[in-house]
Amino acid sequence: MSREKKIAVGMSIYFLVCTLAMIWPGALVANRIEPMILGLPFMFFWYVAWVFMVFVGTVVLYRLEHGGDR
Amino acid sequence: MQDWWVITGITVAYLAAVLVIGLRARNTGTSSTLEGYVAGGRSIGLFVLFFIMGAEIFSAFAFLGGPGWTYGKGAPGYYLMAYLGLGLLPWWVLGPRAARLGRRHGYLTQADLMSDRYSSRALSAVVAVVSIGAFIPYLTIQITGAGILFEAATDGNVPFWLGSLAAFLIVTIYVYASGLHGIGWTNVVQGIIMVVVAWVIGLAVANRFYDGVGPMFVELKERAPEYLTLPGVDGMGWAAFSSAILVSSLGFVMWPHLFMKSYGADSEKTIKKTVVIYPLYGYLLIPVFIIGFAGILVLQDRPLDNPDNVLPELVVNVANFSPWLIGIMLSGALAAAMSTGANLAHTAATVLVRDLVVAVFRRDMPERSVVRTTRYSVVGISVLAYVLALFNPASLVQLLLGAYGAVVQFLPLIVAVFFWKRATTAGAYAGLIGGSLVTVVYTFFVATPFEIHAGIWGLLVNTALLIGVSLMTRPMPTEHVERFVEGSRTALEEVPVS
Repeated sequence: MSREKKIAVGMSIYFLVCTLAMIWPGALVANRIEPMILGLPFMFFWYVAWVFMVFVGTVVLYRLEHGGDR
Repeated sequence: MQDWWVITGITVAYLAAVLVIGLRARNTGTSSTLEGYVAGGRSIGLFVLFFIMGAEIFSAFAFLGGPGWTYGKGAPGYYLMAYLGLGLLPWWVLGPRAARLGRRHGYLTQADLMSDRYSSRALSAVVAVVSIGAFIPYLTIQITGAGILFEAATDGNVPFWLGSLAAFLIVTIYVYASGLHGIGWTNVVQGIIMVVVAWVIGLAVANRFYDGVGPMFVELKERAPEYLTLPGVDGMGWAAFSSAILVSSLGFVMWPHLFMKSYGADSEKTIKKTVVIYPLYGYLLIPVFIIGFAGILVLQDRPLDNPDNVLPELVVNVANFSPWLIGIMLSGALAAAMSTGANLAHTAATVLVRDLVVAVFRRDMPERSVVRTTRYSVVGISVLAYVLALFNPASLVQLLLGAYGAVVQFLPLIVAVFFWKRATTAGAYAGLIGGSLVTVVYTFFVATPFEIHAGIWGLLVNTALLIGVSLMTRPMPTEHVERFVEGSRTALEEVPVS
């Protein structure tokens, strides 16, 4: 498998996981109030956290595709 | 001095500043050509592009509807944050491809791309009509939002008609004069103001009523825990919640005003950088949600008829904040309404003139008159939307919902442009019409099966028809379809500017 292909497959799986975490069935495990984190009910925090994971994924993908150059 | 004078003074100063910035942006020298006016001469950098996209997504809805969701229903509102986080991901794949073909063939709109690939001018007209059908009610809602906020913040001293007129007169002036450049720089300012104001108000509300965000949620857990998890109150089941996230994420970049921005980008990296930063914009919803949650207990004894009014009600009537804070709140909320409105007016005018008038009726129209007509259309569309806002027909939201359902249905056609050579004109029509019909029927007339969002059923039918009908009809010429599939593979930097 070429490098491009590996990146495409790997990142697709990553973003699929992020998506499934925010909908059924992934989000089922987060449908709770406790523990509260940063003052937010758990489910609220769950969405804040996964949006951050999407951001991390796009940063990694950008670096993989365009290397160190800006 | 009376409070409402302070509030109005701050807001007027803010509006004047936006006007000056919007007009100063016109000195770029490219605004006399259509390409300059619409795509900013294809030279818009990351900083501006990011705020253009960010500020236009966050509309009056962020300050009215957003808190309305958590106040009225609770946790189901998280679907908004989820789809804002995910919504730009398809753009990583589609955006650069659209930009490559746009630069190569001189496209400025989504309809340019689709009507060229499917060799049908009538398709351009269909896309244009659907888009404008979505844009005008959307713009009207922004104008209405501005008027409501102005009236509420000034205790009715600035009436609805005047507040909405002031805000949107300014928008119309700078869009008319400066095109996309005017939108760019004003959105930078408005984007920043929106973010700051949302956070300040969110934290201030939580502090005023509960001594902070943490204690607020502790109290909610004890007194109204049903709001903090799905299905919420007056609820939304998992199927409805999940499918709403999916369809909104998939259809997000099909909005013509977002799609067209790929043609304004200066490089593919700019497009990808926008995708990188974009999820963080979802965080603007954190304070917005907090405001909605705050309203649940504060207004427990006298629930609001319309949950969307929770922010103005809390901030203006209940909290007793200083007029300075209310003035700043009003400016931020107007920023959200105006920046979205500017983009909508600009895109609607471009689509109307280029995809309908020029593509279908007057292909020989000289460039100068196209630019001029587009400018006049900005004014015409804004006036129409303002008049609609004054009468505020109840069917407006319905019209927006129906049109958005149809806008999402562009997706399979666009994907096929880049990836599927076998797609044919007949397949495209069958998919688009079939998918839109299914969506509209399940949105308005029949309860949708399994509570799954109507748009998902529409997309399934659309894709099936696109594939089925295409395979049953004669393939389009190979060299024609390869122009799109192969052409969209070559990186933008290697494509010479024509």
